[in-house]
Amino acid sequence: MPVEGAKLLFICHLNRPQMFVEMDIKVHREGRLIHNRSLFIELVFLLDPPTNVTVSHTGQQGQLNVTWVPPPLKYRDDSMMFEVIYAPADSHLGQVEVARASSLMILRDLQYSTKYKVQVRVKLDGIVFNGYWSAWSEPVFIETLPAEIDPLIVSLTVIISFILLVLVLVSLLSHYRFLLKKVWPIIPTPDGKFKGLFTVYGGDFQEWLGNTSGGLWLTPAFIYSEECPSPLEVLSELSICPSLPPKASEVSTTTTNKDKDTKTGLGESETTSQEHWLLDRLRAFQQDPQPCSQSSMLESQDTYVTLSGKRQSEDDHVEDTLEETLPLEVLFASRKTAMCESHSDLGSVQQSSGSGQLSSQSSFEYTNNVWTPSAPGYTYMAVADSGVSMDYSPMSRVDDIPKGVIYANDYKNEIPAHRRPLLLRQYRIHDDR
Amino acid sequence: MEFPRLFALLLIVLEWTCPGLLSPVRPICDPRVLKHFIQEAQDAEVAMRSCREGCGLSQTVSVPQTTVNYDDWEKKDGLEKAQEVQTGLWLLQQALDLLGPSVTNTALNNHIDNTVRNLVSINAVLHSLNFQEYTPPTNVTSLDGTWRVSSATELLQVHVNFLRGKVGLLLSGAPACQHNVS
Repeated sequence: MPVEGAKLLFICHLNRPQMFVEMDIKVHREGRLIHNRSLFIELVFLLDPPTNVTVSHTGQQGQLNVTWVPPPLKYRDDSMMFEVIYAPADSHLGQVEVARASSLMILRDLQYSTKYKVQVRVKLDGIVFNGYWSAWSEPVFIETLPAEIDPLIVSLTVIISFILLVLVLVSLLSHYRFLLKKVWPIIPTPDGKFKGLFTVYGGDFQEWLGNTSGGLWLTPAFIYSEECPSPLEVLSELSICPSLPPKASEVSTTTTNKDKDTKTGLGESETTSQEHWLLDRLRAFQQDPQPCSQSSMLESQDTYVTLSGKRQSEDDHVEDTLEETLPLEVLFASRKTAMCESHSDLGSVQQSSGSGQLSSQSSFEYTNNVWTPSAPGYTYMAVADSGVSMDYSPMSRVDDIPKGVIYANDYKNEIPAHRRPLLLRQYRIHDDR
Repeated sequence: MEFPRLFALLLIVLEWTCPGLLSPVRPICDPRVLKHFIQEAQDAEVAMRSCREGCGLSQTVSVPQTTVNYDDWEKKDGLEKAQEVQTGLWLLQQALDLLGPSVTNTALNNHIDNTVRNLVSINAVLHSLNFQEYTPPTNVTSLDGTWRVSSATELLQVHVNFLRGKVGLLLSGAPACQHNVS
């Protein structure tokens, strides 16, 4: 039969094909031999393509199951080799998979939701039989399944995130207090120090003083019975050393308020005695250049607390008992422990001043109260008592005072109930010197 | 009292010395076994084609005919097929024994030795498939169904074709393997 390119295709049908033996082919035309070839039939097979190519979905994502029917040849089933080509329908490049002596194949790692084209062809494997690749089978089109969320991955993600959350919570709880301080810092309130001030008296300080602590201060007998020296030392404007018992002055202040008339006479008499005593003190000081009274034992690190202002007026009220006892002094040791106690004492002093005779001196303006330090080497602190609060200047050496900045400090007030042991402690400090 | 003991001892000894006698031979039905032999025979044939000197048969030998027609083959019974195959294998063994000394090339000698060993193995495979052992008569060379070859190349080619054809058909159609394969 004529074919293209001036070639002729001759088809011979063999009734009794003989395998495994050489076959000689000779072509004669017009009596002349034009072709002579020897071959083995079983080595030049060209088979028909596979039929009934079926593509179906497997249970898993991105996989397809391909099955076909091989050409029906006896004794050659084990020798057939198949090639499957698959590609997305719009792509020209295809992937090839080979299957030997099998009629099915599973395609893996396919794209989701993609239309694929699948074709199959067959050839003999070349060991017992050999030949050429058959033509491709008719293409089969199929669309792969869409992607699904793998429940394993979802569950693992949930578990891991849960574990991380638990870890974060545990770490937060273990550092709960630290974080709370940083995030919600505690605003200090004076409730703890003033028991009952805000809850019972609603912030009324006077009331609270009157009901809790004032009583103690208003009974000097209570104090003197213990025979403890008052820790407050009052410096007058002119005097170098503090000489007045402040307690007495405080007491006298209050008493003045209460019964001024009755006390004036006594005050005058006391004034004279007080003046005598003051002069004696001055003489003693000049003779003996020591710091005044008990303060002679003051170390260079100790400080004086001065109550500036109208001390002279308060000098009036000195009781006899007080004259006999040691002058009340307030000593502020620079040691911090003592300072706290002194603070408390001052606080107590302040508390006792209830009516606030001292309130006139509420600022640290010493322009009219030039106070020269008694002796060099001592540390001094200025105190301003406004009747409600007492402001302390920072402690400074004698040399530093002129240039020191005087400003108010906050202070810590102890509960009046602590006064007793503190007084005792003050006394002890005196003894130490 | 002693006889059971002796009998047990005898069984144990026999088990050690002759394990093949007491245990049934497993049929070798894997087609890859024969394919392996065929491939090695093809390698020998290719090697022999490249040989120029010192690789010829000293005399003509008889070889089995390799022609297979499927219709004719199916008409033969099992016993005839088995005997035909075993005769052919015997002839090939005789021919290769004659070829061996004629070949001086060491590489080719290795191929020929390998081929001879493979023929013995094929006989063992046939035995495993319960084919009755058959030794052809000495006058088989004058019977029909044999060819005469004079070159080593032709001998090895016949060898390859015989394995691919009749031996393959016999092994693939062996009854011992039919109930294993659906």
